Amino acid sequence: MTMALRYTGLSARTAFRNKRFLIFTIGLPLVMYLIYSNLYGGQNIGDGYSVSAYLMVSMAAFGGIGAAINTGARVAIERSTGWNRQLRLTALTPPAYLVAKAAVSMLVCLPAIALVFLAGRVVGQVHLTGVQWLSAAVVLWLGLIPFAVAGLVIGFAGTPESVQPISMLAYLGSSLLGGLWFPLESMAGWMQDVAKLLPSYHLAANARAVSGYGDFSAPGVLVLAGWTVALGAVGAWAYRRSGRRA
Amino acid sequence: MPTTSINPAAVRLSGLHKRFGPIEAVRGVNLTIAPGEVVAFLGPNGAGKSTTIDMLLGLTKPDAGTVSVFGRTPQVAVRQGLIGAMLQAGPLLPEVTVGELVGTFAALHAKPMTAAEAMRRADITDIARQPTTKLSGGQAQRVRFALALVPNPDLLVLDEPTVAMDVEVRRSFWASMREFTAEGRTVLFATHYLQEADDYADRVVVLAGGAVIADGTGASIKAQVNGRTIKATVPGVSAGDLKSLPGVETSGAEGAQLVLGCTDSDLALRALLSRFPQAKDIEVTSANLEEAFLQLTQTGDSARALEGIGL
Repeated sequence: MTMALRYTGLSARTAFRNKRFLIFTIGLPLVMYLIYSNLYGGQNIGDGYSVSAYLMVSMAAFGGIGAAINTGARVAIERSTGWNRQLRLTALTPPAYLVAKAAVSMLVCLPAIALVFLAGRVVGQVHLTGVQWLSAAVVLWLGLIPFAVAGLVIGFAGTPESVQPISMLAYLGSSLLGGLWFPLESMAGWMQDVAKLLPSYHLAANARAVSGYGDFSAPGVLVLAGWTVALGAVGAWAYRRSGRRA
Repeated sequence: MPTTSINPAAVRLSGLHKRFGPIEAVRGVNLTIAPGEVVAFLGPNGAGKSTTIDMLLGLTKPDAGTVSVFGRTPQVAVRQGLIGAMLQAGPLLPEVTVGELVGTFAALHAKPMTAAEAMRRADITDIARQPTTKLSGGQAQRVRFALALVPNPDLLVLDEPTVAMDVEVRRSFWASMREFTAEGRTVLFATHYLQEADDYADRVVVLAGGAVIADGTGASIKAQVNGRTIKATVPGVSAGDLKSLPGVETSGAEGAQLVLGCTDSDLALRALLSRFPQAKDIEVTSANLEEAFLQLTQTGDSARALEGIGL
């Protein structure tokens, strides 16, 4: 346990010190939020929920997905340096290692969510109660677990050259198809059906539900859990396979 | 045998085989290392050194054969902190300082020495606050050495430790190694320098083509490979004419040059000059490692070993 914590500490330090990585994963959604909210922010979307608040949740989800996927995918770079071979010569067990890596991804998600929320409050004039702010953040954060797992899957299945395009595809694809860039209602019917199978859609929808827009969807939680389990199985396979090669 | 469980060998490899697709990297390596021995694994690239080391460390699963380290599987030995290893060069983990890296690595072991102690032994105390990405090749190798020391291991395994080190750094590296081995710990290091193996190991195990082809003291290995080669241009004379000179074992031609493999090059050179005064462009070289392996393998299992060193 101590070992997993120590390793999480080291890994988190490496992630947070990579400024270019942080600026890109955390900065892009923030900038997009500021632009979108400037364009459409003033209007109301229904239930007294402002477009500004709607976009804030979408962009926080988008940023969180990017942070979760990209942090995990960086494992491929560590693997390529031979660092993972060195790690396998320690008493850190594979499960402890994986938990530590997932924990780091989840940690990097926190500033991604927090910054967009801060911009929502200060620039977007989003007014929520304390409970709504907190529960939206918690629902978003927990909903990012399947994406943290997805990042690790990419990190273990990919090579340093292939992870960048693969994680970009997963990151932008799930955001676009999950309705984080354009509201679901503006999409074709079949695309709406696809969106409802994606974790990205339910992540944002449930975070909006707990902050005052729409109903909380229990099946949505199941979709998120299902993706976590499925990706976890693929991840376990990719991890074992990478160990045989590395 | 009850004695093996009471006082097991530091390393026991039996019948190790490993194949990567069509390439048989390791073909039947047997090796026992007693506690406290300092053993060099000597061989050219592709000899199977790294693959054997990977199996010894539990990083690669053998296709056949067994590995035991102090009577345990490599995985158990690693978990108990009995093994420290310096793997082949590659960049270190970025975005951390040397001190943070060694410190965290210490915390990931069962019975580590302090990070400060490991850094002192590896002579990197002065660069503890530097980021790992801003190190010279030699400094990075010393950081890797600290990572191998910090588990406080009973067996230290080093895969080509002095690659990327200049002469000065190399000397101080071996000095710290001596400090470590003086404490009675077991060391296995891979190298392709015969001199290094001879200088620092009690015992030299020569690997070629995935098999052990010689095993003995550095001096005995050197004695087996100390033949010299004479190259000369001798107008009007063919390679066959020189075969009968005293001290010459083999003769051949490389373009216009004749190449003589000698058991006694002094004798051969005197005879060459007295009988063929027109000989010119004369070079006398001691066998390089590749040629030395060629000699060794000709007495052993030649076909396989030659294939292994790409000849």
